[in-house]
Amino acid sequence: MRRSLIGAVAIAAAAALTVSGCSSSGGGNKGGSGGNVTLKLVVADYGTGPSNTSSKYWQGIVDDFHKANPDISVKVTAINWNDFDTQVQTMVQNKQYPDITEGDYFPNYAQEGLLYKASDVFSNPSNLLSEFTKLDSYNGTQYGMPFTTSSRTLFYNKKLFQQAGISSPPQSWTDIQNDAAKVKALGKIGFDLPLGSEEGQAEALLWFLGNGGGFQDSNGKWVINSSQNVQTLQFLKQLVAAGDTEPNPGTKNRTADSWTDFANGKAAMTNGSPALIPMIQKAGVLQASDWASVPIAGKNGPLSTTLAVCDNVAAFNKNGHQAQIKKFLDFAYQDKYQLQFDKEYDLLPATNSGVQALSSDPVFAPFLKALPSGVQYPNDPVWANVKAQIQHTIGTAITGDPQKVLDAIQQTAEKGA
Amino acid sequence: MANQPTRTSRTVRALAPLLWIGPAVALIAVVVLWPVVVMIQTSFKHISPDGFDLGSAGTKNYRDLFNESALGGVLIRTVIWVVVVVAVTMALSLGLAQLFNQRFPGRRVARWALIAPWAASVMMTALIFRWALNAGSGVINVFLHDIGVLNHLGSNQADWLGRPTSAFVWMMVVAIFVSLPFTTYALLAGLQTIPHEVYEAARVDGSSHWRTYLSITLPLLRPALIVATLINVINVFNSFPIIWEMTRGGPGYETSTTTPFMYLLKQSYIGESAAISVINFGIVIVIVLLFLRMTKWREQVSN
Repeated sequence: MRRSLIGAVAIAAAAALTVSGCSSSGGGNKGGSGGNVTLKLVVADYGTGPSNTSSKYWQGIVDDFHKANPDISVKVTAINWNDFDTQVQTMVQNKQYPDITEGDYFPNYAQEGLLYKASDVFSNPSNLLSEFTKLDSYNGTQYGMPFTTSSRTLFYNKKLFQQAGISSPPQSWTDIQNDAAKVKALGKIGFDLPLGSEEGQAEALLWFLGNGGGFQDSNGKWVINSSQNVQTLQFLKQLVAAGDTEPNPGTKNRTADSWTDFANGKAAMTNGSPALIPMIQKAGVLQASDWASVPIAGKNGPLSTTLAVCDNVAAFNKNGHQAQIKKFLDFAYQDKYQLQFDKEYDLLPATNSGVQALSSDPVFAPFLKALPSGVQYPNDPVWANVKAQIQHTIGTAITGDPQKVLDAIQQTAEKGA
Repeated sequence: MANQPTRTSRTVRALAPLLWIGPAVALIAVVVLWPVVVMIQTSFKHISPDGFDLGSAGTKNYRDLFNESALGGVLIRTVIWVVVVVAVTMALSLGLAQLFNQRFPGRRVARWALIAPWAASVMMTALIFRWALNAGSGVINVFLHDIGVLNHLGSNQADWLGRPTSAFVWMMVVAIFVSLPFTTYALLAGLQTIPHEVYEAARVDGSSHWRTYLSITLPLLRPALIVATLINVINVFNSFPIIWEMTRGGPGYETSTTTPFMYLLKQSYIGESAAISVINFGIVIVIVLLFLRMTKWREQVSN
């Protein structure tokens, strides 16, 4: 008797699970003519800890929004950067679509017809920075909406440079090699090189650019295994072998390893974005005068361009909440929220009015100036696969054969989506 | 005339067990068998990275899988992972079970303490070990530094999770650590079923401790050993959180076993990921069948 009771309860539980699994993929209240609607907002977490997690920032907007629109609630889910792509993709694979995402945007979602056009869910798309329109478009239509942007520069620790007897900031690969070796003699890390899975694609691209390489050529042809790129990785390999970097850079991540090392004064150089600044301030080891940032070092001299990254909002159409999403995005893109975000995380705005408001700010101005000429990630539906493979395998080029690793990635890119 | 009601009641009686086992059967069908069917179907489908079914792929997923250059290493590592973790766990647990079967002051507390690694989430345990193994500030390196060993290792060597080989060894240590409680308790339960008289008889016959252990304890413990080994093999084979939390199977796939490898493939290649799931499933089934057959065969011989 008892056993069958347990069985029956288990069946009921299983049935309940299946039913709730089905209903959640339907996305709750559809249509929303008069009824209450809950929007599912999934955002990447830019915070360095519980005190400044992005869910706090968004909850502030959501609360204001709900006051103005009592019939629309928004549920915020913040996911850390390491897992953001995978978790959003898992939601999509399981057909449990979010309504809005803020973080990475991938053209394959537009290709699959999962997204609303930007003009359908945002009243004033022309206020979004036009530099990224092409990147955010698929077949000539814009789907991704820039929310925050950043550009990369080379951060160096002036104090360690001084101790090592180096007088000028690093400008070329030779400088980096020599300076790193001198810093290493002090028992510190010369160059902190995050080639692990968090942001391996960004770090690799910054170095490829330094040798005239990249992921695609000017015609959009994939050139991942070009001789310039192979040469670049060979340079890094030899830098690592000489002990001028942190140990085993192929397994080290940007935020948790490299930027943390730099913020704590353990590393003399690392490629960073403005988001590294609050980490330095929070660690409290370096004074503002102890570090500086300069253009990324290239093989023969500083780069005139850098990687410009743009994080996007995308609106999924599967739950059919177009009107509500539009209301929310119009609300969330107000200048005051853009500026609040930028002040909180030291990132850059993504709207023309936001840029205007910050253009005279001493911290942001240099980064804003670098933005328009920045190199961007490829706009291709296969990029999601390519990026995942770069993140996971680029680190093995440091211990193994760079040519082989890059050949395999090139193969994936050429296969297409 | 009198037959009619008897026949009905016989049918009812024959069907009655169905009522009892029905819910369990239905549960197994829904929760176990149906996913297996879907998994096998998926492995022959072409599915876009966003989860859309683009029709049949024939055997392409399997061909792609066997063309993965990482697959060979992943399979070899899986074998090493299962054999080493299960063997060491069983050996240590035999000793621990023997210890906990003795009377000693504080035994109750010690038995409780052994449950801790079992009760803690495996993910948390793995996370704690990852932090403890941090090259710069982890408690293990701080200790090694304090006793003066660290300087002899060099910074590359001391970065435990940074190099595939040492990372894999450490992950096996964690896997053993979390497998010990269950195994020890299974064996302890087995030890307690061995009747006292048998040991008394052995003592009267003047057999040595070692002799008693080999001829009485181990043979009588066999049912518990078989169950514990089998469950451990399946658990360890399917182990995911330890590897995922500590290295994510990287760099590349150099610390992946088949389970994390399957998960890594899933992000971009769902069909291929399903193909390796099918192979994983097949491997587990084969191991279990072989194992059951082997142990039965032994039973017959000893009878």
